[in-house]
Amino acid sequence: MKKILFMLIGVSLLFAGPVFSSDTIKIGLMCPLTGSWASEGKDMRQIVELLAGQVNEEGGLLGKQVEIVVADDGGDPRTAALAAQRLASRGIVGVIGTYGSSVTEASQNIYAATNTLQIANGSTSVRLTEKGLPYFFRTCPRDDEQGRVAVEAMLEKGYKRIAILHDSTTYARGLADEARTLLADADAQVVFFDALTPGEQDYTTILTQIRRDEPDVVFFTGYYPEAGMLLRQKMEMGLNVPFIGGDANNNPDLVKIAGNRAAKGFRFLSPPVPQDLPSPVAQDFLAAYIEKYGQAPGSIWAVLAGDGFRVLAKAIAETGSTETATLAAYLKNDLQAFPGLTGMINFDEKGDRIGDVYRVYEVDEEGNFILQM
Amino acid sequence: MELFFTQLTNGLAVGGIYALIALGYTMVYGVLKLINFAHGDLFTIGAYLGLTLLASLGLTGYVGTAGGLLFLALMVMGLVGIIGILLDRAAYKPLRNSPRLSAVVSALGASIVFSNTIMLVYGPSPKVYPQGLLPTHVFYLFGLPVPIMRIIILATSLFLMIGLYVFIQKTRTGTAIRAAAIDQGAARLMGINVDRVIMLVFFIGPALGGAAGLMVGLHYGQINFTMGWIYGLKAFTAAILGGIGNIPGAMVGGLLLGVIESMGAAYISNAWKDAIAFFVLILILIVRPTGLLGERVAEKI
Amino acid sequence: MSFSGKNIRNGIYAAVAVCWIAAPVFLSNYQTDVLNNIAIYALLGLSLNIILGYGGMFHMGHAAFFAIGAYTTAIINTSYGIPVLWLLPLSGITAGVFALVVARPIIHLRGDYLLIVTIGMVEIVRIALVNNIFGITGGPNGIFGIASPQVFGHPINGIVSPGHYFYLLTAFLAFTIAVFYLLEHSRYGRALKYLCSDSIAAEGSGIDTSGYKLSAFVIGAFWAGMVGNLYAGKITFISPESFSFWESVVMFMIVILGGAGSIPGVLLGAILIIGLPEFFQELQQYRLLIFGIALVAMMIFRPQGILPPKPHTYPVDKLDEKEVTL
Repeated sequence: MKKILFMLIGVSLLFAGPVFSSDTIKIGLMCPLTGSWASEGKDMRQIVELLAGQVNEEGGLLGKQVEIVVADDGGDPRTAALAAQRLASRGIVGVIGTYGSSVTEASQNIYAATNTLQIANGSTSVRLTEKGLPYFFRTCPRDDEQGRVAVEAMLEKGYKRIAILHDSTTYARGLADEARTLLADADAQVVFFDALTPGEQDYTTILTQIRRDEPDVVFFTGYYPEAGMLLRQKMEMGLNVPFIGGDANNNPDLVKIAGNRAAKGFRFLSPPVPQDLPSPVAQDFLAAYIEKYGQAPGSIWAVLAGDGFRVLAKAIAETGSTETATLAAYLKNDLQAFPGLTGMINFDEKGDRIGDVYRVYEVDEEGNFILQM
Repeated sequence: MELFFTQLTNGLAVGGIYALIALGYTMVYGVLKLINFAHGDLFTIGAYLGLTLLASLGLTGYVGTAGGLLFLALMVMGLVGIIGILLDRAAYKPLRNSPRLSAVVSALGASIVFSNTIMLVYGPSPKVYPQGLLPTHVFYLFGLPVPIMRIIILATSLFLMIGLYVFIQKTRTGTAIRAAAIDQGAARLMGINVDRVIMLVFFIGPALGGAAGLMVGLHYGQINFTMGWIYGLKAFTAAILGGIGNIPGAMVGGLLLGVIESMGAAYISNAWKDAIAFFVLILILIVRPTGLLGERVAEKI
Repeated sequence: MSFSGKNIRNGIYAAVAVCWIAAPVFLSNYQTDVLNNIAIYALLGLSLNIILGYGGMFHMGHAAFFAIGAYTTAIINTSYGIPVLWLLPLSGITAGVFALVVARPIIHLRGDYLLIVTIGMVEIVRIALVNNIFGITGGPNGIFGIASPQVFGHPINGIVSPGHYFYLLTAFLAFTIAVFYLLEHSRYGRALKYLCSDSIAAEGSGIDTSGYKLSAFVIGAFWAGMVGNLYAGKITFISPESFSFWESVVMFMIVILGGAGSIPGVLLGAILIIGLPEFFQELQQYRLLIFGIALVAMMIFRPQGILPPKPHTYPVDKLDEKEVTL
């Protein structure tokens, strides 16, 4: 019986929450710190904490220090729903995040219900901004935009027989479907449409299938670890079909996995990385990040989280308010051509980022990502 | 037909790795009737240790030669084997006389600990082995291109499996392991040090898993902290398919699972590949309830 | 067991129940939502307990039944607008029928062979959902826009007011505990436990073992399907990721850690397995490491589970007064 009492005490400790204080401006960050996407979450946190530190050094916002409240969404919807409830009950002004579309989706309604401003950074699924949620924004572009640019890039090269390979995640499947729909109206043919299983090592089976169907190009909509393996095994098999990838391939680890020789000539779509932007904002950020963490940020999505923080900080500073409705109205109506870490930022009525964001990159002999247009 | 044979070699290469990991499951199961769910993570540890040793010992220069590679493999196997023994001491030994499923939950806990430790030590991004250590030569078998590494992987797996089989069947120690697997009490009465046998099993099984991890790292190049979960599940499936507790069964099960997967992917659907493999497994178990080579044990009364 | 010991135990149960019911008054929405998650997993654990705890069948694929219940609710609610709670029995029935069809050929498999087959089942279900089987599951995107349940015309929104949903879940949890308590102490429950501890002897005593095992499977699946309904109504958005093999592992751990075959044990298991990782949130990326260590430590500390079922005792002096039926 004593043990039961002991455990009751333990359980009640669970709810001994942290003490609230209102002398800081709290901004939430929801990111995957555990699970398969932990590398993204780590970068997101490093970038947002770096930027918040800079703001605090310059005196903070509205005379108060900025405090980043981090919650781990584990990369899965159920954990994300809890993380959202947790952040929403911590008195935050707004929340940055998160990465995966279905993970964001699980949190969206909770933030909407609690009138919390949310700025997602990596969730590109179209329907997230089609629900009419007034306080939802995202700094990343949408899958339909990316699909359009990808199809244009492929048609421009004169490819006729196109293979589309996804990995059955919400994001990759969405992008693959967008591309297939657009290609149906074009002078090209989808000769292969299938999914690989992410997290495996050996993709020779699926590459053998692709070889049989003789495509002119393979559009891979999944993530960089699999892309790296595909490129490497493609070379080992002596398969010479060119690959073009979606924006989840913008990670230098791709080249490390594939090797310079196999990665050469691989093209992918992505919003521009700070390295490619001449603007002082991007260059200063890059220098500060390298100084603090010893290397350039790995993932473009984490940089987009940084942009999410910067627009929110800008809105708070400009409006002098922490009211969600005021901030959202500012972001939609008054924020014009804000110099972001990834180019100019404007939002439309839905909370989507306006403008031509996508660029095509190609990997060169030394494994560098070279901006094409 | 060309497609068929290419896919067959693809399947066998993956299957060889499944089989090697499955041996660890099956050996531990044979002696302790314990499903070691942390075994997949020992495989991951092997892959990461191999990378660390490769970098820190400056072996990269020599490892291209067979001698350097062998030395690396032995070190990884030894270290992972020791981790296996420690795992048993910490998480399983206190539960030896408890309900079987308690040890399964302890194993799941150990698996969480291992994978998160790897994430914290090495960081969450995938790690990459140095390239160009191994021959990438492609040679032609009946006009079909077969990368030489495919053959080397399969040959190494088979060599380790046959070595283990001979060890278990022909040596005194092997006989002791078999005796302990059949009846621990009787083995004890015959003067066999069952605790030593268990320790040995927890050394050999993880060592083979570690070797598989090293092979995956060397050949595929990319390793990540979650890969043990997928390989572990596949290897467990393979061990059951062959008849768990049975060493040739694990080999047959592993190779067969690899082939079923690649054939399912090639002729039905890639997206449904794992579902097809599990479906075939279920069909086989309905027909042969103790796996392909599992003994038909009479109900214990 | 002495009379006073029993009284103390019942007193503690009553105190826990009172604390549980009063909790949302003092807690934030987040903390209440943690309790909601605990309640959902407690329900799943209790339904798995019928199969794993009483029936002794190694079943690590319970998320499949949970998924089928949730998808039944989601598909019918979003396509035909039938209120969520009306679909509660139907969600259970589809999961139960699925279990009946699937379990029939595999129910005779022993121990670990059954384990891998149930793992295979849950993976096949997940892959089928991801690949948009029959074109109705929404593929990897899942299904969104599920309505909140209504009680007497009042919508109970699990997102806006976790406190309201808490009482819906608590009511269902209380009902479940009552039903399963009666089941445990019925002739059926005793037969199931008997067959679990010694199936040969049970068969010898005239118990139809495979019939009992199959029915336990179907009851557990039926209940998990109903929990799927409540889950879909709570989160209003479901996708295949929520029903992975790992979810089945979580349910399995709840039952074994708490104490297989023990209702209070399973409830405590749900509190620990779902509550601890949240409790460790402050540790951020270290939280799962600490959770794993805690799991191993708890198992070693209490190898039979934390609150194992007490062996049923039949007082000898009253034996001749009662007719012993089993």
